[in-house]
Amino acid sequence: MDNSTRVITLIFLTMTLAALAILTQFARRKRSAFPLRPLAGYSAIPQLIGESIEAARPLHVSFGGVGIGAESTALAMACAEMVLQVARRTAIGTETPIVSGSDPTFLPLAYGTLYRAYQSRQRVDRVPATAVRWYPSLQRTGGLAFAAALTGTIGAERVSGSILFGTYGAEIALLLDAGSRGLRRSVAGSDHLVGQAVAFGMATTPIIGEEMFVSGAYLGDDAGTLASAITIDVLRWLIVGGMTAAIGYVIAVRLFGGG
Amino acid sequence: MTRLWSILAALVAVGVGLVALFGLLVTPNPVTNALLQIAAITIALSVLIGILNLYSVHLRRLISRGRGSGYSLVMLIAAGLVIFLWLSDQDDANMTLLETVQVALESALAGLVLFALVYGAYRYMRRGVTWGGLLFTVVLLIMLIGVLPGSGTIGQIRAWLLAVPVSAGERGILLGIALATVVTGVRVLIGQDRNYRE
Repeated sequence: MDNSTRVITLIFLTMTLAALAILTQFARRKRSAFPLRPLAGYSAIPQLIGESIEAARPLHVSFGGVGIGAESTALAMACAEMVLQVARRTAIGTETPIVSGSDPTFLPLAYGTLYRAYQSRQRVDRVPATAVRWYPSLQRTGGLAFAAALTGTIGAERVSGSILFGTYGAEIALLLDAGSRGLRRSVAGSDHLVGQAVAFGMATTPIIGEEMFVSGAYLGDDAGTLASAITIDVLRWLIVGGMTAAIGYVIAVRLFGGG
Repeated sequence: MTRLWSILAALVAVGVGLVALFGLLVTPNPVTNALLQIAAITIALSVLIGILNLYSVHLRRLISRGRGSGYSLVMLIAAGLVIFLWLSDQDDANMTLLETVQVALESALAGLVLFALVYGAYRYMRRGVTWGGLLFTVVLLIMLIGVLPGSGTIGQIRAWLLAVPVSAGERGILLGIALATVVTGVRVLIGQDRNYRE
């Protein structure tokens, strides 16, 4: 890493840290001061949970190919937050959500999260060892074996709907197709562009890009997660401002400073 | 006691995170390398947990004779066979199985993905006439016609679409994911992540 990259990284990390610290304090004092823009995906999830409880059928939540220890670690944490939010709500029902993934490192994270969610409702005894499932897949062929195994699970376990967050390629089409044939609703998003494009077209309600990281702010009541959602928005607007200023500067130089 | 464990976990995570970050920003050092090696070993161990999980899930389904228990039986036999071949040092047979069964099956699945995508596009257009649907159809037609030889202006429009709006959209989505990743990372570094607080 060269020196300029180090300096930029440090400045960016410091800015993020400062924004998070300040916004968390504000959010703790007055949550209503930070209204969140409505996101269709997060409006649909409570309905999916309600359907699961009423039909006494499990909800399926998948991490896709994300795991801990690689570049997708942050997304794995975001997926765990989603599992926590979903499991806390489904804990009042009879069926435990089925959590799946193709990277083995997701297993301890998913187990721990599911356990904590049910522990918070004093219903730990309702978490079966088979609620979290690993379906391995070959790296060189993408997640095709994972997708094929899940299409079987979706049918065999009679899941009520699917929430697919994580890393998926075009194989997400198989999952969404299997769900739609059984008239099951789905909320899906991916950090890979191909998977994101397929999810946008085929999921009942798509989630786009960084929206996967803010489930805690939309489904929970924690000031920290709300602050992180606002920090993402603030940083995005800073980048938009910077890019607009740079474009304006280039245009001004071309128009007036050419000579 | 639980609270004590949470504090300890937070301290370990924050400490290790800061050391790793320091090693990345300043210079690669032995402590960071040792931490990365521990992480690699832990990840390797998680495969073992995964295999146990796989057996547990499918054995339970087989014993309870639930829906799809036939598939579970096939899975257990196949997994047992692969482990047996590995234990008896028959790597060639293992590779043959992989190449002739697994890769062939996944190639067939890749073909199925195409049909699923076409069906998905059909369903997307069946939702009714919306601006999104119209845009999708027009862009799809331009993309398909533009790839033909001698497509002229439509070929140029296709190239422009790929170079400007598609590229801008891609960068926008990736930038958003990158920002969210940084924020999540900082939350872990300062012990604000929910995993350490409950």
